Amino acid sequence: MATVYQQLDPGSAQFLTTAFPALVRNGTNFPVLGLAYDAAINEAASWLIRAANYGTGNVTVDVDWYADTATTGDVVWQAQLAAITTDADTQDTETKALATLNTFTDTHLGTVGQRLHRAIITMTNLDALAADDDLWIRIARDAANAADTMAGDAILTLATVSYSDV
Amino acid sequence: MAALDATNRLRTWAQIMRDWPPGAGLPGTTKPDLRAAVNATDDWIEANQASFNAALPQPFRSQATLTQKTFLFCYVAMRRAGRLRAQED
Repeated sequence: MATVYQQLDPGSAQFLTTAFPALVRNGTNFPVLGLAYDAAINEAASWLIRAANYGTGNVTVDVDWYADTATTGDVVWQAQLAAITTDADTQDTETKALATLNTFTDTHLGTVGQRLHRAIITMTNLDALAADDDLWIRIARDAANAADTMAGDAILTLATVSYSDV
Repeated sequence: MAALDATNRLRTWAQIMRDWPPGAGLPGTTKPDLRAAVNATDDWIEANQASFNAALPQPFRSQATLTQKTFLFCYVAMRRAGRLRAQED
């Protein structure tokens, strides 16, 4: 039994035509690439991966992020997925619906504004995921949620998808 | 110049969060705190615009429009906050 990890790079994110985070590159000594999620508008980015060696159980999405300007407050992260089994599912790929979203509220730990945080989202809504499915992952910031209190952008630097292979 | 309505206050708040210089950092406050500060600032401007106008010297006071006086205020305030760069700098 092992845990499979797949990393979602900000540079490989895909977006719809509206309400998407800006791709930003910051950093002094090395480039810090990220997706800057707005504090006032819900924005989302998506990735496509292959669920290689997926066994059973929940999928976990770790969202590594830091605050652009804030030093306090909460960020409400959302993740949801859509899985299609190639050569078996007859679902139209372009009109495929996402499964019910999963949320996690992460609190800025203070002291240093741009410190790195990790929000761990346990995805229990799996859309009948099976091994080797094509898997679309959508990660959003629910900025309109009253529980999302952090002012300024939340910058996603890396997301990691993990699951068990048995 | 009338106070901002709720929509314009909301958009001011949203844009402040986008444009705020990372180097300056936001104070240790939340989105609702910042929203309240935006509202209070607009209220203060509304309540004190007559006093500001009276402080302006002639002939500027009588010659400038309300918008021009507002620009003046903003330029001076931005310079004080280090956000207005001049050619001489």
